[in-house]
Formats: sequence, C-alpha cells, structure tokens
Amino acid sequence: MSILKVENLSKKFGQKEILKNVSFEINEGDILAFIGPNGAGKTTTIKCILGLQKITKGEVIINGYNIKKNFVKAITKVGCLVESPDVYMYLSGYENLVMQASYYKKITEEDLMKIIQLVGLENRIYDKVSKYSLGMRERLGIAIALINKPNLLILDEPTNGLDPEGIKELRELLIKLSKEKIGILISSHNLSELETFCNKVCILSKGEILSLNSIKEIKNIDENKYILKIDNTTKVKKYLSNIDKILDKNYIEVIKDENDIAKFIKELVLNDINVYEVKKEALSLEEAFIKIAGGKKIV
Amino acid sequence: MFNLIKAELKKIFRKKSFLIVTIIFILYCLLTNVIYKEMDNILEVDETYYTDTNISNNLDLTNQEDLEEYLNNKTKNEINDIKKNNDSSMEYIIDNYLYNLVYEKNKIKYTSKDEEELTKIEKELAETLKYINNNDWEYFVNLKITNLKAELKEDESNSRLKELISLNEYRLTNKVDYSYKNYLNNAIIAIETDLLEYYNFKSKDNLSKEEQERYNYLQEEMALNNYILKHKVDANNTSNLNAVLKEFPANFGLFILIYVIMISGSIVSEEFNKGTIKYLLTKPHKRSTILASKLLTVLLLIPLIIIFMCLIEILIGGFTLGFNSLNIPILIYNSSTNLIESYSVIKYLSILLITTLPEFLILGVLCFLLSTITTSTSAAITITFLFYLMSNVISNLALMYNLKIFNYFIALHWNFNYLLTKTPNPYNFKPLFSLGIIAIYLIVMLCLTFIYFNKKDVKNI
Ligand SMILES: Nc1ncnc2c1ncn2[C@@H]1O[C@H](COP(=O)(O)OP(=O)(O)OP(=O)(O)O)[C@@H](O)[C@H]1O
Ligand SMILES: [Mg+2]
Repeated sequence: MSILKVENLSKKFGQKEILKNVSFEINEGDILAFIGPNGAGKTTTIKCILGLQKITKGEVIINGYNIKKNFVKAITKVGCLVESPDVYMYLSGYENLVMQASYYKKITEEDLMKIIQLVGLENRIYDKVSKYSLGMRERLGIAIALINKPNLLILDEPTNGLDPEGIKELRELLIKLSKEKIGILISSHNLSELETFCNKVCILSKGEILSLNSIKEIKNIDENKYILKIDNTTKVKKYLSNIDKILDKNYIEVIKDENDIAKFIKELVLNDINVYEVKKEALSLEEAFIKIAGGKKIV
Repeated sequence: MFNLIKAELKKIFRKKSFLIVTIIFILYCLLTNVIYKEMDNILEVDETYYTDTNISNNLDLTNQEDLEEYLNNKTKNEINDIKKNNDSSMEYIIDNYLYNLVYEKNKIKYTSKDEEELTKIEKELAETLKYINNNDWEYFVNLKITNLKAELKEDESNSRLKELISLNEYRLTNKVDYSYKNYLNNAIIAIETDLLEYYNFKSKDNLSKEEQERYNYLQEEMALNNYILKHKVDANNTSNLNAVLKEFPANFGLFILIYVIMISGSIVSEEFNKGTIKYLLTKPHKRSTILASKLLTVLLLIPLIIIFMCLIEILIGGFTLGFNSLNIPILIYNSSTNLIESYSVIKYLSILLITTLPEFLILGVLCFLLSTITTSTSAAITITFLFYLMSNVISNLALMYNLKIFNYFIALHWNFNYLLTKTPNPYNFKPLFSLGIIAIYLIVMLCLTFIYFNKKDVKNI
C-alpha cells in the first residue's frame, strides 16, 4: 500500500527553480535512500513533503491525504527529523520528549520510556540538552521522530554525528521498523551506510531525479568494478577515465562493462604493461551513484 | 488548544531571560520601596548651621537683601537649637510662630537696637518658649482661637474666619498636636494655607484660564483634606505601601513593558531562529492553531504577569513599609460632582490595572506581529520599544497641537486611567470611540500576523 506519493513536485524560490517535477512513491516496508550532492534539493523536497514549505506545483499525498488540502490528517502519522535535531536546549531530554508528545493525543509515559531505550539514551535522558554531545542530540531527534508511532518516517541525514555503534543501531532499528509496515525516507551523504539495508534509491541532482531504482537494479547495471594487478601503475594514467582510480603501486580500479574491459586489457598489453590479475566486483551503491550522476563528486 | 498553551507557558518559564528579568524586577522593587520609605528623611528640614563668619561672608549689611539673609540665617541657627531640645509635637509652631518671633527679635537686635522693644519681645519669646518646652500645644490652639474670634467680631459674616476657628476647635476635640508626623495636623495646615487664596477665587467672578485651573486645584485639595479630617484617613501619606501601589504603573510600567516585549517578541521568532519550528509545524495542528495558541499565551500572560508583579510588590513593600497601610482607602476627587470617592486599595488597584492593560496588550500584539514577520527577536523588541517612545512624544504633541490626524493614533486611546481618576479625557475622546480605534488596530495587526504566518516558508537556519 502506498504511504507517500510525490507527484511532479516543483518548487521555486523567486525565479530560481529548486525542484523540477520530482516524483516518487514509498510503500509499506520500503526504505528509500534519498541521495544527491550538496544543494541538490533533498532538504527542500523533504520540507515540501512535510508542509514546512509551500509547494509551487505538484502534489504530495501521505496516507491518502493531500498535504496541501488536508494538512492535519496527512501529517498525523508522520515522524520526521529535518536537517538537525533542533530541540529546546534549556530543557532536559525527557522534558523535550514530553513537550513534543503533548502535541499528540494519548502518548503514555511508558511509550516514551520505550522510545528512550530504543535510541539508547536512558542514562542521560534527564540531563539538559545543552550538555549533550552531537550524537546524543541526534539520538534524541530520532526519538522525537518516533514519538507518535509514525507509519511514515522521514529522516534527513540522521547519521550526522553518530558513532559507528550508533549507525549500526540506527540501521537495525530502521530494518525492524520497515518490517512493521512503516515506510521510511532517509537522506544521507554516507551512501555506503544506506546500501546494505535500503530497497529503493532515488538519486537527485540539481532538483531533478536522475534515477529511481530498486537497489538491485542499480547494482546490476551492466557495468562492473574490476581490480587489476599490473607491473607499474604510473604508466597507465593516460588510459584511465575520470572515475577510475589508481589504488597503489600495483593495483588499479576501473569501472567498465564487459566489452570495454576486454578492450582495455588488450590496450594495456599492447602497450607493454603486464596484467597479472583481474578481479570482478559488484559496484557499491556509491560508485553506481557517481556513475549515474555523471561522475559528480559528493563533497 | 489547552495543551498547546501549556507547552508555550512551559517554554517561557524555563527560559533564563525570564528568570533574570524577574530577579532584576525584585531588586528594583526593593529599591523603589526603600526610596519611598526614606523619602521623608531625604526631604527632612534643613538643619544647616551657619557659623558667624559663614553668615557675614560677602554680606553687606547695609544692603536690605543681604541684611534679610543675615537675619534669616541667624534665626535658623536659633530655631535649630530649639528644635533639638523639643519633641515633634511642636514642630509647626516652632517653624512658624516661634520663627517669626525670633526673627523679629533679631531684627530689633541688629537694626533698630531699641532696648525697650527688645526686652519686650525677649520677654514674649521666653514666655512662648516656656509653653513650647512644656509641649503645651493646646495653649497655642486656644491663643489662635481667641485671636480669630476677636477678628470675627469685626467682620461677622467672614466665613473664612469661621472655618479657621472650626479647624482649631477640631484640633482641640481630636487632640491634634503640631507634629508633622500627624497626618491630621498636615491636613489642617494644608487647609489653613490654601484658605485665603481659595476664598479670593470664590468671591471673584471672571476667572482667567490659569486662575480657573488654580481654583480647581484648590477645590480638589480642600475637598481632599476636609475628607481626611472628617473620616480620619491617612490618605496623603507618601511613604507607605498604599502610596507605592497607587502609582503602580508609573513606578513599574517600564518593567511591565520589558516583560511584554520580552515574551511577545521572542515567542514566534525564537522557534524559527533555533529551528524548533520544524518540529512544531509538523505536529497535527493547523498553523493558525499553533499561532493562536502562542497569541493567547501572550494575551493571557500579560495580565498574569502584572498581577504577579503586584503580589511581589505587596510582599516586598509590606516587609519594607508595613502592611497596615493596605487598610487605608484611596481617595479620588470627582471634579464633576466636587465630591471625594473612597476606594479600597484592592479595588483601586484592580481598576487602575484594567484601565492600563489595553496599552500593554496592544504593544504585546504589535511586538508579536513584528516577531512573526521579521523572525528576529531583537528587531521586534527594538521596533516596539521605539514605537513606545515615539507614542509618548506624539501623545504630548497631540496635547499641544489639535491636529485631526492625531485622533486616529493608537497611543492617544490606549490609556483609560481617566475613567478611574474621574478626570476628563485629555483629548476629549469618548471611551467607546477609543475602544473602536483599538479594535481596528488589533484586527488589522492580527490579520496581518495570521496571513503572514500561514504563508511562511520554513527556511534553513
Ligand atoms: N530559502 C531559499 N532561497 C533560495 N534558495 C534556496 C533556499 N533554500 C534553499 N535554496 C537552494 O535550494 C537548493 C537546494 O537546497 P537543499 O537544502 O534542499 O539542498 P540539499 O540537497 O539538502 O543539500 P545538502 O546535502 O547540503 O543538505 C540549494 O541550491 C539552495 O541554495
Ligand atoms: Mg540538506
């Protein structure tokens, strides 16, 4: 069942067109990785979905309700963390949760305690937020996003400031949630963190969707990563394209489809470069992304 | 809605700025009360002593003015000596009756040097001092009555003399001595001083504008002091809790303003600046509901804070100035009926605050509007404060120049204190007209705020 449907979403700031006809859909159990370089419009898209910014053109439908026309019903079952977890610094973590809960109906203290445990803040929850570290604030932000038992979870760069343990926990949490028929939209810079558990990926560049595929499709584009062992990597520089890499003295990494790799090896051999070993590897999500986004670097 | 307002209140009360302003207010309150308490001591009679060289310095005794100054200073020295040795019940007699005698004596001593007259006056002085040292204030009252009665014989229809006599008889029956600490004495003195001028105006037909104003003032003073004598209420005391509360807006208006703009200037803009607005506006409530909850919080908090300030003042004032003055009523002169109306402190204070409230509500809404539109706390606070200063200037200008355009300026309408003090509106506005203007201002400001807030994009911070 469709939880979030974005149709031809466009957004203009004055004359500047920030989003151009963005469309995608999230169903129950989906985890959509929302990827794009800085300034692509990820945060803007998320703000439009949440009604924080006015939509210039297009529709956003959440749980069957249009966000423009039926804001209250559409937003009721949405949990979100936009950009940074901005909470009231002069209150304690617990007071912040209680405050956020007070805007919903019927959230019990037990519910809060469960969420606190889920994000692993039970030891520090009664401290003032101004004494929290960045990662702890991020955990609090995630807790707030979960407070109303949402069926659509929107997280904008939630891994900011989390330690590896925290990232792992978040990943496990999201996987668990997605099994409970929740739809999740997650944007992040750290693509390698997402690839292991996302089932959909949406690549955004300059306000346009470049590619919207399932993870499997992306990984199965007919290009592959090859690691070659050669005698001297300094000599091959001129044969490499901009997405290929020299790994060290003997190893290079190239991304090519099957036909091209054969030609490439032939070329090396003809130019007196010895090839000792060729290893084929699947593309990581990040590499696939760079490839699709036209080799743009993610800063 | 109730929940939303509760959350807003919690945010405000937990902020450091609120605590800091409250602490400053309490200190300020303490200071104000101490000043009120010490006011009398600060203004206490001048007890400067002049040494002889000091007196004669630069004084040319052949010159009439210098001579007078010399005699005055000499007299003051002697009077100060006498005062030191007497308790307060003779204060007024020493300052006036005795002063004149001593001055007279000095005049003879240093100018005419007539031995005969000097011995005569010195004898009279000694006689008077005897009564003064015995604290026999009744002697002086009787003396005055005798003199007045003699005067009255010659001018039997003189109602001023009759009134003076009855005032002195009042002294005797109510045992009012001549101490300045005795409020009945002060009221009697005030009437005695004003009486001559009052009767002059009363008998005159065509009063000029200034004279009419002065006459009105005298009428008010007479009515007030007569009421004090009749009902024995210490209503003119300026150094008790009662007096501080009577002037509450004048004493603490600035702090009310600070609270108002601090709260209404930050309640919307701070959420935008700190980014917390993202959570707030993704809650299942309409934007207008969220804004309305904030507005209601402000409108509710303004009267609550004023009440809170009053309670703190009553508490601090009670401990510094004493609580007993709360029993004394506050007197108001109604100029149209020429009567005194008596209010209990609580009733007076309530009406005073209610008639002052519109000003702060309007400033609060203005600051709220600016806070929403600019999303800058400092801009909202600064502009509102400037508006407040400017409105004072324009209110004064409007008193001087009767321009039509001023009639629609809000600051001329937002103060209803004149309804309490029973004075005419300084600009001749009807209360209903003022209320209408206020309503129009409020509606326009609130519409702007709501329209703007509903359209606002949440920008990156
Ligand atoms: N209020 C605004 N007025 C004008 N342009 C804006 C405004 N807000 C954002 N933009 C522009 O919109 C584009 C998209 O911004 P957005 O914040 O959505 O990017 P993003 O994909 O979230 O980037 P990042 O990965 O750095 O978070 C940027 O080019 C930005 O300059
Ligand atoms: Mg962003």
